Amino acid sequence: MKLALVLLLVSGAAGSQPADVIQRAESPPLHAATNRIASDFEIAQMEKQLARSQTFEAQLSGRLNLGDLRASRNELSLARAEYMKAYEIAARERLEARRDSKLARYANATSYAALAQAKLGRDARAFELLEEAARYASDDAETWNLYASAMRILGHPRKAASAARNAVALATKPLDIAIDQHALATALIESGELDEAQRLLVTVTESLRSSKFDALKREVARGESFEIYSSARGDVAAYVSLLNRAQLRLASLYEQRGDPDRARTQYQRVLEARSDDAAALAGLARLSRSDAERERHYTEAFDANPFSMSLVREYQRYLQSHKPSVPSAITVQRALIQLSRGENRAARETLDALLEKFPANETLRTLRREAEQAPTVTLPRSNPTAAELRRLLDDFERLTPEQRAALDRTTFTSNAVFASAQVANNQTTLESGTIDGVPFRFSEPMIFAGTFTANARLTYRILGVTRAGDTDALLLEPLGVQP
Amino acid sequence: MKRLFIALVFCALPSSAQVVTSTSRGVVIAHDGRVQLSGGWTADGVENATAIVAGSDRVAVLDALNNEAVIADLATGKTTRVQTAETPIAGVFLGRDLYVLARDARVVQRVVQGVVHASGVPLKDAPEARTTPVSIPLDPDPAFLREANGKLYVYSRTAGTLQEIVNDRLVRRVRVAPFASDFEIGGRTGYLVYPREARIRTIDLPSMKVTGAVAVGAVPVDLAFAGGGTALTARILAVADPSAKRIWFTEGTQSTIEAVARGFVRGFLGLGLFGSRSSQFPTGVDRIVVRDKIWVAYDSSSGTLYRFTKSKSSVIAKGIAPQAFAVTSSGGVVYWKDGTLVAPGRER
Repeated sequence: MKLALVLLLVSGAAGSQPADVIQRAESPPLHAATNRIASDFEIAQMEKQLARSQTFEAQLSGRLNLGDLRASRNELSLARAEYMKAYEIAARERLEARRDSKLARYANATSYAALAQAKLGRDARAFELLEEAARYASDDAETWNLYASAMRILGHPRKAASAARNAVALATKPLDIAIDQHALATALIESGELDEAQRLLVTVTESLRSSKFDALKREVARGESFEIYSSARGDVAAYVSLLNRAQLRLASLYEQRGDPDRARTQYQRVLEARSDDAAALAGLARLSRSDAERERHYTEAFDANPFSMSLVREYQRYLQSHKPSVPSAITVQRALIQLSRGENRAARETLDALLEKFPANETLRTLRREAEQAPTVTLPRSNPTAAELRRLLDDFERLTPEQRAALDRTTFTSNAVFASAQVANNQTTLESGTIDGVPFRFSEPMIFAGTFTANARLTYRILGVTRAGDTDALLLEPLGVQP
Repeated sequence: MKRLFIALVFCALPSSAQVVTSTSRGVVIAHDGRVQLSGGWTADGVENATAIVAGSDRVAVLDALNNEAVIADLATGKTTRVQTAETPIAGVFLGRDLYVLARDARVVQRVVQGVVHASGVPLKDAPEARTTPVSIPLDPDPAFLREANGKLYVYSRTAGTLQEIVNDRLVRRVRVAPFASDFEIGGRTGYLVYPREARIRTIDLPSMKVTGAVAVGAVPVDLAFAGGGTALTARILAVADPSAKRIWFTEGTQSTIEAVARGFVRGFLGLGLFGSRSSQFPTGVDRIVVRDKIWVAYDSSSGTLYRFTKSKSSVIAKGIAPQAFAVTSSGGVVYWKDGTLVAPGRER
């Protein structure tokens, strides 16, 4: 027995798997409070499926889908563990089928064992298993679909295209044909054969939206089905997932080929079926006509899947020319904005809070490493610039003992803006403020002889880093104040 | 209980590609990016050895994943590395030339002293490149390449066609049936094995006509010639049937002239080894290698290698990769396991 229908899909340009909402943090202290990540629903469904049914198809598709969902969230070690389990399930099924002399079942299990090996990056073993499956079932479209998927995963799109052509030639049911055409189109895109890919994707999407699939569409509506799976069981799940991915891929292709209007239409169609599709939202962000619209779509995309590395990189490129304000919620987007502003320390804190919640997440780990990898720390000059003070604030803990000693010996002078200047008896009490926007404070309120306004010239030494309200601030020892 | 039992027998096969073949100078192994003559030279090979082709004085290791071949001179170990078209899965030496079947490019390529000719364009600028380039478009999914009497034959699996190539030109084509799992040539006859149909079809190569089809076993997968083929005896086919868990012995086809010479016309006679109810291979075997009197069978699902005769079988080794064994010219069986070439007969 096979999976009712298998749809092998790889995420789109900006992490097409649905994703999450990360709530605003209560502060202080910082903490990551998290609403549902959109793919949480699919993960829960798959876990239920694994608990409910012990059949080969349920167990295998459950593990493969969990692996892909984890991978879409860049939880790679968790994904790998799921793929290993999928391989073990398929390998056992191979032996069992062989022992029972059920060779069609054997071929099917062998194909899935190959797919799991491909997902684990073991190309030689995957190839060996795929060839073995093809010996027994070269007349089976699903065998070739799986062959194509494994080759794509392993980075061999031309081999994938060749296998997918076999699948297309052998498929008979309209939905199977559409699935195999989608697989072929995907391989062709990666092979650089865009014209044929576009024709195929137009055919697939128009076919899926046509009256030919009215019965399935009614079932989708009746069941309010929206989940996207890479290995779909049953026609309804396959239809929903295929329509989503085919439209995304076509949109991405239009975008790549400089046709933003058609691309936008396809992305919007994706969102009509599922409003929290990260790839579609990111696509619309890229195609936005205003900064406000773009920022809104990016925010929605991060809400949907904050851990898509392609979305992260895309947003980082956007931040090179845009300076949005730092959101208060503890999110990946907040960390990225902080990083773009050079606020590495603050970014590290944001990321640390998120890592507490998602310790296995590779996106967070990558960003955390990048937040550490600032260039060698240099001490500010005696009349420091804002950037020098900001760098020191971010990297204070990375100073060497010699630099600390040198810092202790150095006197600095800057124009300060105090938060308040309380004057009484010809004395002024000052405590905290900013220097060129960089927060600072004294260890306690200091009383200075004379009358000063909030704007004063401050001579000081830098003792370390402290908190001022909910932000990091330099801890200063005042040596003198001048009007 | 069933699942527990299965868990107990679950075993792992080697994860890296390795292929073994017997040559006129000894056993050649390709593994871990190296190619070596056992007891002789070692040279850089390919990253993923997926097939090996032995000629009289050279051996070629193919890497179907990376579209590469390394040709090694058997005497010196000197190698030539060539890029091939997409997915080189098989090859044959024909005289001085190596012909490579690149499945996903649907071409046969000729390699002349390290120069690949494909699609009419020589890949390297060398004197040999000026020779007539090979550009032979094939039908979809060309899966098997065989040589007989200086001619090449390619069976395309999903198209179900057999194409004959003579002097680098496609000269004839016959439609047989798609989805065969093996293609072998014995004498003037080509044999195609069909697992789903439980059938073997024969093609008379001189006329390129389909001459017959006969039911064999439940799911026949692989075929080898196990003797016969003389003026007095028909060729004996050994057919691996993993579903029936046995090897079938079947008389191959004979031409009318041969039949008349023997005084009668024989058809196929399916005869299971060990009687009708026995199943001498626990999980069934799906590959057969026959060389003279040495018969070896292999189970791809468990990686078990067997030696067998018409009356019994015995396990040689377990956990062997599908192409990591060979029968040598001296009548021994060798296999590669755990980084070592093992020759069971010589261990004792």
